Amino acid sequence: MIASVFKVATRVRHSVAAAAVAASLLGGCAVNDTGAAEVWDPIETPNRFIFSINRAVDIMAIRPIAVIYRDWVPEPAQKSVRNLLDNLGEPVVAINEVFQGDPSRAATTMARFLVNSTLGVAGLFDVATMLGLQRTKTDAGQTIGMWAGKGVEPENGGFYLVLPLAGPSNARDATGLMVDYAIDPFQILPIAFNWDFWYYSLPRYGLNVIDYRSRTMFALDDIEKNSVDYYAALRSAYTQNRAELIRAKRDKTDTKSELQRRDNLALVR
Amino acid sequence: MPLLACRRLAFRLAAGAAAALVAVPALAADPAADLVSATAAQAIEIVKTTTGAQRQAAIQQVLQTRFDLPYMAQTALGTHWAKATPEQQARFVKATETAEAKAYAERFGQYSGQTLTVGKTTSRPNGVFIVDSRLNQSNGQPIKLDWEVRQVAGGLRITDVKIEGVSMVMTRRSDFNSYIQQNGGKVQPLIDELESRAAR
Repeated sequence: MIASVFKVATRVRHSVAAAAVAASLLGGCAVNDTGAAEVWDPIETPNRFIFSINRAVDIMAIRPIAVIYRDWVPEPAQKSVRNLLDNLGEPVVAINEVFQGDPSRAATTMARFLVNSTLGVAGLFDVATMLGLQRTKTDAGQTIGMWAGKGVEPENGGFYLVLPLAGPSNARDATGLMVDYAIDPFQILPIAFNWDFWYYSLPRYGLNVIDYRSRTMFALDDIEKNSVDYYAALRSAYTQNRAELIRAKRDKTDTKSELQRRDNLALVR
Repeated sequence: MPLLACRRLAFRLAAGAAAALVAVPALAADPAADLVSATAAQAIEIVKTTTGAQRQAAIQQVLQTRFDLPYMAQTALGTHWAKATPEQQARFVKATETAEAKAYAERFGQYSGQTLTVGKTTSRPNGVFIVDSRLNQSNGQPIKLDWEVRQVAGGLRITDVKIEGVSMVMTRRSDFNSYIQQNGGKVQPLIDELESRAAR
C-alpha cells in the first residue's frame, strides 16, 4: 500500500518535471521583463487547492511536531541534525557549483564534505567551517536561473507552482528539485544498494521536514498574520527571494543588472 | 529534496523580521546611511525600554517620522490607488500604518541582541538611495537588509525595506492586489478588513 503510494508519487514527480522543463523553456521566451509585474500564476486554482491541503497537514501534524522539536530538543542536537543533513547535501551543491562555472567553489564544497564526513563524524560536526572552509548552499533551480536567456529576469521562473508538502515553487525551481534529486549520490546509493527505505530515506525526509519547519516558523507565522491573502503574500516573497539568490550569482558576471532592475522598479511605480 | 528551496527564504525572513530595525551605530558619512543607523538605534531603545501598547505607539511614532508611509501605502495599493476616493486613500494609509506598527511591535518582542552593520550606499539617478546593511545574529548567517531611501519635502525618508531580497512593499502589493481581485476589484473590502484588524 505504502509502496504503491510512493510509486504514484514518483510518476507524478516525473510528469511534473517534464511539464516544468517545457514551461521553463517557454518562460525563457519572455523579454523586457522588469521583474516588477505580478508573479505568473496560470494554475492558481489548483495551486490554491494544494496550498490549502498543505496548510491543513501543517496545522494538524507538521507544525506541532516542529514546535516540540524547536522547544524541547537541545540546541546542540538540533545543530548536529542540521549539519548531518547539510553534509548529505554537499555533493549536490558541488555539482551545481561546477555547472555555475565556479569550480574552485565546488572544490571547497567537496573538501568540506570530505572533512566533515571523516573528522566531523559522518557530518554531525561542522569541522570544515572551523578550518576556514565556508559553507555555501545552492541548487539546480539557481543553476537554471543563472543560465536562462539574457532578457529573462530572475523573477521569471516560469509558472508558479505549489508542490504537495514542499510548498512554494515554480517551473524553474521544481525542475531544479528533480535535477537535484536525480544527481544526488545519497538518493542513488540507497536505490543501487537497496538500503532500507524505513531506515534511511524516510528518516532523512522526515528530519528535513521538521528541521525546515522549525526554522521557518517565525517567518511563516509573520507572513500569515500580517497578510490579507497569505497565498499571494507567500507567492510574492518566495519569488523575490529566489530572484535575489539568482541575481547574486548573475551579478558576479554582470554588475549592472541589479542597478538596472532597481531603476525599472522605480519606473513601474 | 523538497522543502530545501524555500527554507532559506523563510528562515532568514524570520530572523530578519524579528529584528529588522535593530542596530549598532555605524560611522556613516552619508545622510541616507545615517538615517538607517539612527532609525535602528531608536528602535533598539524602544524595545529595551517599553512594552505592550506603549511600545506600539512608540514604533508608530518612528514609522511616521522616519518612513514615508503615504508613499509606501500608495505603492502597495498599486494601480488601485488612483481608483480610490480621497477619503478611501486616507483611511487606507491610516489602516496600513496601524497594521505596520502592530506588526513591528510584535516582531521586536523577539529581540535577542542582534546588531546592524550599515554598508555602502548606492545613489540612483532617479533620486533613490539604496543603503545595504547586514543584520548580525548570535548564531547563524547574517541577514541581508536593503533600505530604500528617498528625498521628500521634509527630508530623507525610508520607503522600503528588503529582507534577503524580499521587499516589504512589493509583498504587500501582491497581497493587497490579490485580495482586491477576489473582492470584485473594489478597494473598500480591503480597507474594511485592514481597519477591523487594526481595531483588534
